[in-house]
Amino acid sequence: MNFKLKLAAAASTFALGTMPGHADTTIGQYVTLSGFGTLGEVHSDYRQADFTGEFLQPHGAGFSRSWSPTPDSDLGGQADLRIADGLTGVVQVISRDNADGNYKPRVEWANIKYAFTADLAVRVGRTLLPTYERSDSQNVGYALPWVRVPNEIRYSNSATHSDGVDLLYRVKTGAVIQDLQVQFGRTSEDFSGAVFHGKDLIVLSDTLQYGNASVHLAYQTMMYTYSVLPAARFRLASAGFTYDPGAWFVTGDGNYAHYDFFGDFFAWYLSVGMRVGRFTPYLIYSTEDQPTSAPPSGLTELGDERTVGAGVRWDFAKNIDFKLQLQRVTIETRDAPASFNNVQPGLRVGDKANVVSLTLDFVF
Amino acid sequence: MKASALCALVFAVLAATNIQAEDIVVIVNPAAKAISKDQIADLYLGRSGGLTPIDQTAGSAIYVQFYKQATGRDVAQVKAIWSRILFTGRGLPPKQLPDSAAVKQAIAANPNAVGYIEKSAVDASVKVVLPLD
Repeated sequence: MNFKLKLAAAASTFALGTMPGHADTTIGQYVTLSGFGTLGEVHSDYRQADFTGEFLQPHGAGFSRSWSPTPDSDLGGQADLRIADGLTGVVQVISRDNADGNYKPRVEWANIKYAFTADLAVRVGRTLLPTYERSDSQNVGYALPWVRVPNEIRYSNSATHSDGVDLLYRVKTGAVIQDLQVQFGRTSEDFSGAVFHGKDLIVLSDTLQYGNASVHLAYQTMMYTYSVLPAARFRLASAGFTYDPGAWFVTGDGNYAHYDFFGDFFAWYLSVGMRVGRFTPYLIYSTEDQPTSAPPSGLTELGDERTVGAGVRWDFAKNIDFKLQLQRVTIETRDAPASFNNVQPGLRVGDKANVVSLTLDFVF
Repeated sequence: MKASALCALVFAVLAATNIQAEDIVVIVNPAAKAISKDQIADLYLGRSGGLTPIDQTAGSAIYVQFYKQATGRDVAQVKAIWSRILFTGRGLPPKQLPDSAAVKQAIAANPNAVGYIEKSAVDASVKVVLPLD
């Protein structure tokens, strides 16, 4: 009894003595754990459809309910592994409202990376696709200046991740840092009722950074199958830029996608913001349009809408922010406008939805 | 009389701000090459690798002042930038050490490391590459 007590005391002393400030002991040397999340509430005054946080989500705010937490709320956990010199791994699991309307966790990132040199590395496993400038961090609210990445630009690509292999090469030319990527893989995405499969996926991307300015260019192509449709080709080109000297920022991004069956999609946004102490007010305009006249699908205005928004980020405490965003979405189609689901017979082209979003974003 | 009182007040305020915002210098290993201010910003904002940046405790006075002077950004902005890098699997934020003595020790032991300390804390174990202001 006494011996056991002594042992427990010794163990707790040991734990207290080694835990704080000594993260580099044993397990901390190999594994770093971290996480992020968002608690959100969205209100839409438009009753003929549900406003969602991405096109896959079956429900949202407006038709089903006046306020909804599902568009933006999520929780993610990550483990970074240091396996050996130059050999690292990352696993990220995220729980977010999905196509089935539940929060079943999914693996967002899972890859092993080997760095041959400081500038050349190979990755094997799952990565997020560079469909637009912020597609790799689209669900990490704390890393975004807005409540969410505009739904319009998310709409262009049915796929979000790649399972495969990629090469990363960094080139420095004077003060310009260029990150080049070549990727080969496959992908699948659960839609409600069907699965989007993509194979022979090839991605090329280039991120250029010059001080506070950055430009992101990417191209991807794959053969896809969806439901009973025959296999067809998908291609997407994107270009985005950010200039952020600290006191203010301007950022814009666009992508042009082509599906053999669904036709062409063109989406872009432009946003400016400035930092006033702990507050970062911003403005954003975004749009999605299907410019082709007659794709095989017969649908000529898939997703069409435009959004004008304004909001503010408030960094009120360490590692946590509060955001308020007001936006007006103008619906330009009856066929699955990018931000909406549960479209009701009463929806008319030209209808406007006023949407209020509140979020708390945190990292740990 | 009034003017001299005002002068004294101005000097007192200047002295006070001086104490609060001590000069910071960027240091490297004595064997390492020089490094520019732009390179420092790229390194501490995760835009470039190669060298190993070493940080002080997030939110400490020297941390706040360093990021303001070297990158033009506040603590929350720096955290947001590193959150994006971290959660896209591109890397971990710089290791944080508890004080300038620990930073000096780490720099003296690693020819690839870069750090920042108060100017008054500089000694022969490290090399100053850049004064910040």
